[in-house]
Amino acid sequence: MKIAFLICLAVLSCWGQTSAYVPPKTSDGLPDLEGMWQPRANGAAYSILPHPGGFFLGAESKEGIVEGGILPYQPWAAAKVKELTQHMEFDPTGHCHYEGIPHAMYFGFQIVETPKYIAVMHENMHAWRIIYMDGSPHPKDYSAWMGDSRGHWEGSTLVVDVANNNDKSVFDMAGHFHSDALHVVERFTPVDKDTIRYEATLDDPKVFTRSWKLGFPLKRARKDYLFLESGCFEDERDQEHLVNGKAALPADHYKQ
Amino acid sequence: MGIRAAAAGVCLTIMLASAETPYAPPRTSDGKPDLQGIWETRNAAAFDVSEIAEGHDIPYLPAALEKEQKGSRVDPMAHCAMPGVPRINYLPFPFQIVQRPGLVIILYEYLHNQRLIQTMPREHLDGIDLWMGDSVAHWEGDTLVVDVADLGDKTWLDSARHTHSDALHVIERYTRTGADTIRYEATLEDPKTYSKPWKISMTLHRNTQPGFELREQECTEGDNGRAIQPQYRPAPKGDPLEFPRTYPSSAEVSK
Repeated sequence: MKIAFLICLAVLSCWGQTSAYVPPKTSDGLPDLEGMWQPRANGAAYSILPHPGGFFLGAESKEGIVEGGILPYQPWAAAKVKELTQHMEFDPTGHCHYEGIPHAMYFGFQIVETPKYIAVMHENMHAWRIIYMDGSPHPKDYSAWMGDSRGHWEGSTLVVDVANNNDKSVFDMAGHFHSDALHVVERFTPVDKDTIRYEATLDDPKVFTRSWKLGFPLKRARKDYLFLESGCFEDERDQEHLVNGKAALPADHYKQ
Repeated sequence: MGIRAAAAGVCLTIMLASAETPYAPPRTSDGKPDLQGIWETRNAAAFDVSEIAEGHDIPYLPAALEKEQKGSRVDPMAHCAMPGVPRINYLPFPFQIVQRPGLVIILYEYLHNQRLIQTMPREHLDGIDLWMGDSVAHWEGDTLVVDVADLGDKTWLDSARHTHSDALHVIERYTRTGADTIRYEATLEDPKTYSKPWKISMTLHRNTQPGFELREQECTEGDNGRAIQPQYRPAPKGDPLEFPRTYPSSAEVSK
């Protein structure tokens, strides 16, 4: 009897470890990731790498969001990051540009799902994107701040392939950049009813020596969360302000 | 002869009856008229909204007209501002309607604007001005009625400098009238600017070009404050003022 109980316990605990959370289905029978989500992105908007606290870099982040805490820059690119760190006035988001992917994912957004596409409405910069789910290829004659998103389901995980990125969007305010060869594969894995694990694998052979990964949890927003308009166009004349912010990050801060 | 007359009579009755029967739109899974798809206008109201105004007239109060004539001559859209409602709907850019139960979403190609419209009654937000306003919607039969307030006074109605005050209140009505058409009507109330509410109406046409998708349209200010809108879609084939426009496909461009 006692042995049977122990076996049962072992089986149950194993089961608990291996069986992934299965989200409910939408009316179209798709894994239900719909709703308003708020990332816990660890200060990634300031820098995706671990960074100190300070005016321009907001709160301290010990972990950042990059797996391993190091970005595998090619030597010329590492030098460029150091220079960009001293010129935050070049940050395109400071001029009200689109963040791009994954940068836009550090801020709140709403997901709706249809069988042919998934629409993501980003609150920041009133950006949106349509993730086509019909197996269609990326367009050939197109380059965009937000790239072009085509996705598919792997079980309950939404996998999105983002190509057609331009070379102007950046990863954060700390000078981390990419080229137009950037290719991002995002994975949205539901963990429990109020949590999605967001992971992105980034590949850019013109800037990095290998592909690298970032990730953070998305939490379901409170029911009374009000999705509001974010209107940003350049009329703030805050260039000087941005230049003054450069002191926030020492040039030798990033290890390679 | 008698049979022919009777047949003609029957035909006439059927024709009259069908003329009176409104279009029965396809429905979404929650039983609402399906407005989904990519839509665009085929008029020039973006330049002068009076083209689609009832009687081609905007009933200005004399004081408001005087204020307008003395006001800024720089269109806020020349600084890449969001265009506001209803102007966004008759800009020469397509937009996509997405529906989920309790929610209608409009994704505009122009400057990546978006409207998240809940189809359940609630009070308008208080003490806030939004470029695109606060939209609250409900269904009246097969018509989507969107009540838009909190629009502020910064947006214009067109490039011809037709303006409004922060008291503007827009009631939009979207009704499917055919497989590829939506009747769009909007009533504009603004007691500080107009002597009475006035109405605009137009047809939204579905973009039926196979493989047509919305693209990213970005507007940024140049150093001298002028809007820069880089080309983001190949130019339409043929006369750009002829509708419907046909755009070259990806394959055609990359050749």
